[in-house]
Amino acid sequence: MKSTAIPVDAAPRSKSRRLFKSIVSRYDLYLMLLLPIVWYLVFHYGPLYGLQIAFKNFSPAKGILASPWVGLEHFQRFVESYYFWRLLWNTVSINLFSLLFAFPIPILLALLINEIRSKTFSKIVQNVTYIPHFISVVVMVGMLMLFLSPRGGPVNSILQAFGAAPVRFLDSAAWFKTIFIGSNIWQNMGWQSIIYIAALSGVNPQLYEAAKMDGAGRLKRIWHVSVPGILPVIVILLILDVGHFMNVGFEKILLMQNNLNIQSSDVISTFVYTTGILKGEYSYTAAIGLFNSVINLALLVLVNRFARKKAETSLW
Amino acid sequence: MKKKWGTVLLSTLVVSGMSLTACSTNKGDEPKSTADAAANGVSADGFPIVKEPIKLKMFTRIAPTNGPFKDMPVFQEYEKKSNIQVEFLEAPTDGFNEKKNLLFASNELPDALYRSGLTPLEAIRYGSAGQLIPLEKLIETYAPNLKKLMDTYPEIRSAITTPEGHIYAIPGIVTVGSARTDKKWMNQAWLKKLNLKEPETTDDLYEVLKAFRDKDPNGNGKQDEIPMTARNGLSIVPIMGGSFGLDFQLGYNINLENDKVNIWMGNDRNKELLMYLNKLYSEKLLDQELFSQKEAQYLAKQGTGSTGFFFDQTNNPMLDTKVNDQYIGIAPLKGPHGDRLQLAAPVPRDFGAFAITSVNKHPEATIRWIDYFFGDEGSTLLRFGRQGENYELRDGIPYYTDAFLATGNQSKITPYAGGGAPHLISEKVASYINPPQVQEAQKKLDPYMPKIRYAAPMFDEQTAQKINVLRNDIDKYYEEQSTKFIAGALSFDKWDEFQSTLKKMKIDELQKLYQDAYDNLKKQK
Repeated sequence: MKSTAIPVDAAPRSKSRRLFKSIVSRYDLYLMLLLPIVWYLVFHYGPLYGLQIAFKNFSPAKGILASPWVGLEHFQRFVESYYFWRLLWNTVSINLFSLLFAFPIPILLALLINEIRSKTFSKIVQNVTYIPHFISVVVMVGMLMLFLSPRGGPVNSILQAFGAAPVRFLDSAAWFKTIFIGSNIWQNMGWQSIIYIAALSGVNPQLYEAAKMDGAGRLKRIWHVSVPGILPVIVILLILDVGHFMNVGFEKILLMQNNLNIQSSDVISTFVYTTGILKGEYSYTAAIGLFNSVINLALLVLVNRFARKKAETSLW
Repeated sequence: MKKKWGTVLLSTLVVSGMSLTACSTNKGDEPKSTADAAANGVSADGFPIVKEPIKLKMFTRIAPTNGPFKDMPVFQEYEKKSNIQVEFLEAPTDGFNEKKNLLFASNELPDALYRSGLTPLEAIRYGSAGQLIPLEKLIETYAPNLKKLMDTYPEIRSAITTPEGHIYAIPGIVTVGSARTDKKWMNQAWLKKLNLKEPETTDDLYEVLKAFRDKDPNGNGKQDEIPMTARNGLSIVPIMGGSFGLDFQLGYNINLENDKVNIWMGNDRNKELLMYLNKLYSEKLLDQELFSQKEAQYLAKQGTGSTGFFFDQTNNPMLDTKVNDQYIGIAPLKGPHGDRLQLAAPVPRDFGAFAITSVNKHPEATIRWIDYFFGDEGSTLLRFGRQGENYELRDGIPYYTDAFLATGNQSKITPYAGGGAPHLISEKVASYINPPQVQEAQKKLDPYMPKIRYAAPMFDEQTAQKINVLRNDIDKYYEEQSTKFIAGALSFDKWDEFQSTLKKMKIDELQKLYQDAYDNLKKQK
């Protein structure tokens, strides 16, 4: 930058003075800002300091600072671990499949609800689909166990009525991802569609009229008016989803996990929990957690860049 | 050099400590010249333990059957007697390990851990980090009961002492044999009804279980019998392993043959066992809910009478039911190679049941407090509560009074229910876990008990860490794969792969470390 033309001193000083003045004149507003800043410092940036235990042999008695450095030893141990590829694959695949199947469904649902003519009926559909969102994870898994139980669960009863053998859904590695993602869709599609419905209501009705005049049918109107209308929202939500790509529904997986389905249910976050908290390997699991976050960040940046180029919408 | 300095420092400390106490006895009550113990007013014997009342915080596990600890007569009575008021921080069995580890991780320690189930690795980790204090010297002076037990049963000392000579945790000590084994409870009513004999071999068992499954022994016209069940998950392996020549020495999946440590997880014998269990499971002879049921479900099954064969230390869960006389203990089954071994826990049964942390200001008083429960009086109080109200003596042996038994409250008033409490279980206080029915069952097992049962060895810090890293992977892998082999989710074609993966996970190195530990153990004796 060619900033040499401007007097070097004067500009920043006057700028900072202006800022200072504006702060003083609106000090009450800035005081309100203080609280979130402190919140972030204490609860979001403060813990970053603890991340260093990933590079140390952390001993609680010595504290974070006094524990000895070991470099990348824990990362190496994780990458060389027998479980590394399995954990990585499960974490990535569960998310990938979620993105593939669970992401479009709320959009479809929103488009559907938007097309329902009767206001009462559309409200009913909306309510029915979003209420499952409020079921707690524990209850949800309990319901799954009941419904899918091989001894008298409704799903297996139906299967048996058709002459099929009962399936031990929850004890099977092959079924795990389907059940996990399927129940997630069921539980969350209504809730997630709310934001799309809101976006749809913002689409200019004249566009629909114009499309109708041009002879566009219902599907064409959805495709050429509704979808482009909510595309920016879709992209933003997609990016946000990718942002916590590697943080799959930890509690739910942990509750559903057992030795028979662990082949496909063992993900990084549950591994961190069982090894870190239950076996007390804090440094090792801090390293795994950090590894997880770094992948997350990389993915987020990539998708954001991609979205900016292709869809011209992005977070930054 | 470092080590030398350490010993010099330690011995000077000890010597000066001793001379200080010596001073105090000479000069009477000069507060400055007395050692900590005397300053705290802790007497080496007699009660109360302290003249001025003190408070201790202890972290403990509360089992589903227990009531609040503060309502237990043992702690109410003992508080009056000892002048030590204990505040218990109770964590339920589910999630207990998580809470325990978080205490250490956050360094927010209680004064002591009661019924804490520390593993040897945890004890070494937190002990060498200084969060748990070494107890060996305290035991010497302030724990006469414990000391006596350790002299009578030398295996206790070797099982809890680290190579550096420290004791970081006190175990639950069990001198009565029948409290160290899981009995094999067989439904004799069903046997009689189907005109079958007690099974002698694993093949017999298979036939018996098949009959249980098909011939409707409970006579309700439905096929609702569960031929065989066990505690959740892989507990079935140690229980049946003895029939296939698999022993559990050194607290791990280890056979000792001519002083050679042999981790048998990848061996053919283990394959045979898993194949046998797989046969039972796939033919629905073994409880289909084995891998998903919770403890409470299992206990409930014992009392329903719809179970043919299961395993438990006592007959408590079936006592209050109509079916309690249906079950008798049977001997271990003879396996295909003639093996007939019974699994038994060592005398120091529950490792890490009690430990004192570094924040404790009254370690002498605390060790005296716990020592009481390793004597007859204390362990009776703990298990049975108040004489007259809760129990009566018959021939010097305490039994719950009939009136109290009728209330069904026993497990609420004592911390032993749920297991793992730090105290002595001897012939004298074991009437409730050692009633005639259980003694009969135990007699069937006695001839097949292994001669020596080595407890899990203590390693030095570095080795412990190495073992920890190795076992984290290996144990997880073994547990997962065995479960799958039994449940039929993995075919035995994959056995070679299973073996080679264990090799890849350096099971040989692990075996070597256990061999060294065993050699050390031998040398000590």
